Amino acid sequence: MFKSILYFWLTLALLFLQIFILDEISIALWLRPMIFPLIILLLPIEWRTIWVILATLLLGIVMDTALGGAGLYTSTLLPLAVLRRWILFLTTRRSVEAGDQTSLLSRMPMRQVILYVGAMFLLYNTMFFMLESLSMIGAMQLIATIICSTALSIVLAWPIVRLFLKRIVR
Amino acid sequence: MYRLLEFIKRIYVLVIFLILESMALLNYATSTPYTEAKILARTTAAGAAISGAISDVGHFFSLPAQNRELTARIAELSAVLGDVEQEVSVTVDSVDHHFKYHAARVVSMTTNRPQNHIVLDRGSLDGISKDMGVVTPNNELVGYVLSCTEHYSIVQSMLNTQFNTGGCLVDNGNVCVIGWDGSSRYQVQAKDLSVYSEPQRGMAVEVRSERLPEGVLIGTIDEFKLNNTQTAYSATITIAAKMAMLDNVLIVENTRASELDELHKQVEGKK
Repeated sequence: MFKSILYFWLTLALLFLQIFILDEISIALWLRPMIFPLIILLLPIEWRTIWVILATLLLGIVMDTALGGAGLYTSTLLPLAVLRRWILFLTTRRSVEAGDQTSLLSRMPMRQVILYVGAMFLLYNTMFFMLESLSMIGAMQLIATIICSTALSIVLAWPIVRLFLKRIVR
Repeated sequence: MYRLLEFIKRIYVLVIFLILESMALLNYATSTPYTEAKILARTTAAGAAISGAISDVGHFFSLPAQNRELTARIAELSAVLGDVEQEVSVTVDSVDHHFKYHAARVVSMTTNRPQNHIVLDRGSLDGISKDMGVVTPNNELVGYVLSCTEHYSIVQSMLNTQFNTGGCLVDNGNVCVIGWDGSSRYQVQAKDLSVYSEPQRGMAVEVRSERLPEGVLIGTIDEFKLNNTQTAYSATITIAAKMAMLDNVLIVENTRASELDELHKQVEGKK
């Protein structure tokens, strides 16, 4: 069962973590962890895409306003809302069936959820850092930024996903 | 109307996503001069690439028309070249040029029969008449016009067992008779080549005919041998023209052909 109130608190916590901590600390130029896409990724897969798109739009506007993204966050988050079912199927071969009684994420083992989250993080970071730099000058640094930031984001997301699977979705 | 509503219902998520994504990208693109310049450059480059690709496709489909135009241009230039050579060599009577070129396109053809013919899209209304020579744009012999209607001509191809024309070795001018024995679509045969002609493999053979100007290539000698009576050579010639791939050709008109015909008739009449 999906606990919406707990999920709301998790959303606020993730936003706080991203805006006030992860975005403020400067580890290295090529290491910029971003865990807030989890808010979209962990929304019930059964939700209709239009609602996910609207939720993503809201999150994008919040991030753009808070971090001065001027549309960068919104434009890179929106494709996640549309592609998440496909990426989930591609990475775990799982999809929403008509007669499902429980949430799909709740039936997936931790390893599969992390695989799905990792693929989505990689997609998001690729779009974000490419759109941010708008240039292939320093392509190696760009690739390093994408890979390292994705890896660190997955490490940071691991306990949050565990918590989500234990407390919110089951 | 119902179908339209059904269609909108089916794609509305995609449409909303595209609208929101475009708005977000537009907002980001116009947020700073840097992003504006960068995205403008990228979209211009993408637009140019798409436009270039479309242009390439259009160019590809216009190639046949361009090919026809080029063949027509070759015909014009060949005529002009003849006139120029005539002017340059006014003192040399034998270099007199009196040939006119007509561009034509192959409508249909055969290469797998004993009597092969080629149909061209030019006829008597275009000034084509029987016995005119037909060459490729590279000046290689194809055959002679056998018959024509108002809009079409039938050419007797070199690959026809009834075909014969005069030929000569380019290196020493020895003449021969060219014909086809029907054995290979890539080779014709030369016979009655003088025993003193010293033929060699790879030697070029060109047409010697009043219907075509000098320099029209038939092919190159592939093999040769003395005939049984040891009085003449016969040779196999690899055809220069790609007979199975003909598309655009030139019909060569001898503007003094009627004069020659008259002369032949007079000689035959005396006999």
